[in-house]
Amino acid sequence: MSTHKAGSAYHNNLVGPVMRAGDLAMAVIEAARIDNPGKQVTVDDKRAYIRIHTEQEMILREETIAEELGRPFHINDLEVDLSSFAGQIESQPGAVRFYFQKTV
Amino acid sequence: MALLNRMDWYNLARTTNWTPAYVTEDELFPPELSGGFGLPATAWEGYDEPYKQTYPEYVKVQREKDAGAYSVKAALERSQIFENADPGWKSVMKAHYGAIARGEYAAASAEARMMRFSKAPGMRNMATLGCMDEIRHGQIQLFFPHEHVSKDRQMDWAYKAYDTNEWAMIAARHFFDDIMMTRDAISVSIMLTFSFETGFTNMQFLGLAADAAEAGDHTFANLISSIQTDESRHAQIGGPALKVLIENGLKDEAQKRVDIAVWTAWKLFSVLTGPIMDYYTPLEHRKQSFKEFMEEWIVAQFERALTDLGLDLPWYWDKFIADLNDTHHGMHMGVYYWRPTVWWNPAAGVTPEERNWLEQKYPGWNDTWGKCWDVIIDNVVDGNMALTFPETLPMVCNMCQLPIIGTPGNGWNVQDYPLEYNGRLYHFGSDVDRWVFQQDPARYAGHLNVVDRFLAGMIQPMDLSGALQYMNIAPGECGDDAHNYAWAETYRAMRELKLAS
Repeated sequence: MSTHKAGSAYHNNLVGPVMRAGDLAMAVIEAARIDNPGKQVTVDDKRAYIRIHTEQEMILREETIAEELGRPFHINDLEVDLSSFAGQIESQPGAVRFYFQKTV
Repeated sequence: MALLNRMDWYNLARTTNWTPAYVTEDELFPPELSGGFGLPATAWEGYDEPYKQTYPEYVKVQREKDAGAYSVKAALERSQIFENADPGWKSVMKAHYGAIARGEYAAASAEARMMRFSKAPGMRNMATLGCMDEIRHGQIQLFFPHEHVSKDRQMDWAYKAYDTNEWAMIAARHFFDDIMMTRDAISVSIMLTFSFETGFTNMQFLGLAADAAEAGDHTFANLISSIQTDESRHAQIGGPALKVLIENGLKDEAQKRVDIAVWTAWKLFSVLTGPIMDYYTPLEHRKQSFKEFMEEWIVAQFERALTDLGLDLPWYWDKFIADLNDTHHGMHMGVYYWRPTVWWNPAAGVTPEERNWLEQKYPGWNDTWGKCWDVIIDNVVDGNMALTFPETLPMVCNMCQLPIIGTPGNGWNVQDYPLEYNGRLYHFGSDVDRWVFQQDPARYAGHLNVVDRFLAGMIQPMDLSGALQYMNIAPGECGDDAHNYAWAETYRAMRELKLAS
């Protein structure tokens, strides 16, 4: 049985949005790569939802997502497809930040 | 005219506390409703909601969400997804809508309590939006199933379930009454929004959406994942409240509320979501097992966030992890056995291929739960249908209101956890359920579970017909095997082959 493995799954530092599938999710994946240079962006596509994560901290900027979408975009419009997220969230002017305070 | 940036005025606009001159603070914020935890209003003014939204932004975003959900429904309405769906998948929809829709509507009342009575201005702002979210969830999850009522009478339970004394609904009401309808504003923020919504609703609204997309039910997948975008915002109401409590030396009070809500939510999901994911959803459409979804959403995501806020893992963590392998299998067998008393048709989910999948996901399944199913399968193949239904009452837990179960077969560990309180003997399904009761016995002591009611003579006549009448299950609404036992043909053929050889 994988009880030990299951019980320790919280030993991770992955943060970032869980998006409904669609063009906004695709733009967020690209924005995550551009706005978080040097960080590995992991994408886990579950068909109905897509996990987009980095270690410890992720910033998503309004202008980057707008650029990737090819149309005007307000950061609060992220919520239309933001069905969940890992980590804590912080609303910033023109950006959103996902983070953990502690590292495990 | 140029508009100010939202962040330039947001903090000032939501600074809405004042010093009352004509009434005392306790009259303005009655402690029973506000849950100030002995802290003055000024302590709660440090509450800073991390996910900020203004009313104009809310209206714009919600309009876009609804336009998306309703247009997908309209586009697929004539595709006959429901008519052509596997009967097991129809049962998923029936169980979901009945157990969820009206509970969402009730949650608007819980959000309204935070909106009016919280001493934290930021919480009042976010709960205003949360209240409207929950009204949306109630309405949309009644509207979507309504088109199917004329095709299938059990779909009427999307609306009807909460008005009945059906046993699973007694359990659901007991849970929601406890964490959201009868708690003060701060406790609601911890138990409903933080514990339940950042944790468990992801299982039902995103994990299940993944299965729905695999099953081709894009209307349902789109609906429930859209609902969860509201949840992801207003679920953040609880986090800053936890921070205020911890900063003011009240971590134990916060931890206790989280531990109660997580355990009682887990028990409800073990009977609602577990069987849906591991038995009703057609095998080829199962994205992950229930346990794997629990590991993803509750262990890896929710518990990690909880420890980041400064709380500890629940004291029963090891038991919880162990139970991920077991509890829902017992709940499924109980639901299947007492299937006339539910408003959906349970899928047995035990074809040879499904058993292989269960054995792979839950090593040891065949030596435990499988042994019980062997007996049920033999009875179905032999045509002894009466033996596949119960003749006795189950033992029901006085906390979660669900059958007291354990692991059968080679893993036998069935046990009652009794407690005598004020001369009455209570029964619990685990030491954790009993612990929850002991945290506030007077709160729970007067409640009668469905078997208590039976034994008290409240259900007449004292047989199945009386039980169905008490549960308001009308003819045509009783549950039966989702596939009308067609799955047993494989076992019949296997037996004939064996005899022939």
